[in-house]
Amino acid sequence: MQFKLTDEQKMMQDMARDFAQKEILPTLKEDEREHRFRPELVRKMGDLGFFGCAIPEEYGGNGCGFFESVLLAEQLAKVSGSWRVPLNMQNIGPSVTVNRFGTREQKERFIPAWVKADSFGFFAITEPNSGSDVAGMGTTATDRGDHWELNGQKMWISNAHVGDWGLVYAFTDRSKKYKGMTCFIVNLKDNEGIVTAPIETKLGLHCSPTGEIAFTQARIPKDSVLGEVGQGFKICMWQLNNTRVSCAAGALGIGGGAIEAAINYANERTQFGKKIGSYQMVQAQIADMVAEHEAAKLLVYQAAWLKDQGLPNQHQTSIAKLFASEAAVHAASETMKIFGSYGFSTEFPAERFLRDAQSLRVVEGTSNIQKTIIAGIALGDVENR
Amino acid sequence: MNILVCIKQVPDMESKFKINGAGSWYDSGDLAWRMNEYDEYAVEQAVQLKEKTGGDLTVLCIGPERVKETMKKALAMGCDRGVHVADDEFFKKDSFSIAAVIAEFAKTKSFDLIFTGMQSQDRGSGQVGVIIAEMLGIPSVTTIVSFVFDNNTITVKRELEGGLKAVIKAPVPALVTCQLGLNTPRYPTLPNIMKAKKKELLSIPVAELLNVSAHQETTSLFFPEKKGGGLVLEGEAGDVADKLINILKEKTAVLA
Repeated sequence: MQFKLTDEQKMMQDMARDFAQKEILPTLKEDEREHRFRPELVRKMGDLGFFGCAIPEEYGGNGCGFFESVLLAEQLAKVSGSWRVPLNMQNIGPSVTVNRFGTREQKERFIPAWVKADSFGFFAITEPNSGSDVAGMGTTATDRGDHWELNGQKMWISNAHVGDWGLVYAFTDRSKKYKGMTCFIVNLKDNEGIVTAPIETKLGLHCSPTGEIAFTQARIPKDSVLGEVGQGFKICMWQLNNTRVSCAAGALGIGGGAIEAAINYANERTQFGKKIGSYQMVQAQIADMVAEHEAAKLLVYQAAWLKDQGLPNQHQTSIAKLFASEAAVHAASETMKIFGSYGFSTEFPAERFLRDAQSLRVVEGTSNIQKTIIAGIALGDVENR
Repeated sequence: MNILVCIKQVPDMESKFKINGAGSWYDSGDLAWRMNEYDEYAVEQAVQLKEKTGGDLTVLCIGPERVKETMKKALAMGCDRGVHVADDEFFKKDSFSIAAVIAEFAKTKSFDLIFTGMQSQDRGSGQVGVIIAEMLGIPSVTTIVSFVFDNNTITVKRELEGGLKAVIKAPVPALVTCQLGLNTPRYPTLPNIMKAKKKELLSIPVAELLNVSAHQETTSLFFPEKKGGGLVLEGEAGDVADKLINILKEKTAVLA
């Protein structure tokens, strides 16, 4: 067992940190205020090879795995929780999933475009009335002989209104329940039956576009099915187990960013004639944050490493996601307290860390769902896959 | 085109520095390491030139085993091969010795162009590049902020005091030292970081290249003494004002 990053991994970590500092941070305040998504930044990430992890070289892969992608997500999120999201939209979501379940033609057609960010990816699972209960979704796909017809509505979909090609989950046979769901590769643009709209009422992640998608007798080609008809639920769970680790890495970044800000402030701010970091109560806050963060880091890195080894990891991934996102919320909340009134001010980053961190307790399976998975495997009811 | 770029690994400048046991340099125990900022401009310019003219680009770095990490970044940015001059005591060497080591390596390689940073962020002598050029008997131009290569001639701009700029032409072979503003160093891409693993990275013991004696020795390194605390005047407002006026009269020229 060893806990040391390779020179290459360290270089990637440094590069992502550098990228975040130079490309994201300078305009972040304004971008956040304007809820500005910067497509050119996603393309830049594509040029740098951010989206080719866990992808074979023939489809644009960069020779790296989940572990390296997690390092990138952490460094990006340390500066902005919004800007780790493209890793899931381009790489860990659609690309990795199509690489696992797609035909050769589908892989050649879609993966290189997502990896290069020529095509903006997405995946559409959640609906107004179905979140945690994925199999409760209402969207249907009907076989019309020469095409599929999609009907229904998706909500809280990252990239909905900026996305090109991505994955849509729908029921092809509701009577078969879990075995009646199918995954489709769908182009949101240029389809009369598809309408998208942004959701602009989110508490955080203001630079990451989120929206809804409405399908009304939307015609999509016959060859749009990913994997097999009826395999959708399995694909969906497989995919979420991957995108989940990227969220966990995002939590690591947000928590780490908050802690760094808190430590700097505790070392600078003076009250009663002494640095506030010299008071035991502030030290206790810092100690808890740092200890939780370090534990979260080991869990997240472990989950990513297991994926790269092809070993069962659902248990470890859910533990990492649960622990890291709760730790991030705690760290951000403590940071706000340490900053005092400045923590309550939008002029300082503490409140943004807290708003962004909250999202991680919800996406890719809520904290409650992670607990269900963890307990299910721990109790021996479910196999760790 | 045969190109050499010389780089140095330096501590992250936001580190908390401590003086080493000998009192002659900083303690390197607990520092994070980076490529010297000015060397990043040198690497970027060298890579751009190589991309334009073709040829071979060598990156050279002197130091202990850990400097290979920084060299790998230069390889990932586009250098073709690395030469690591292994030297655990490089920090004790003066600029003349460092330059002599590089010149000894370069003298038989017929480099058309040599790029260095204008100075290192830690020692900051700004001498190494110029001494290398003198030892090799080639022209050198320092602190360049723009670079053009055409027809075996380099045309570079230097930034002078008072906002002035000078344009200098020189035939190759030549050496330039690079300054902020020359270019924007590229990020090493993930695929290139992985490919750099396969590039040649040769190690040469420094003893094989060092055949001069030092001209200088750093005898001590210290933090400047902290200035004494200010004077706090206490008492009634009127008394304090009188004391202040007296001080200003006696110790400053503010009040006559």
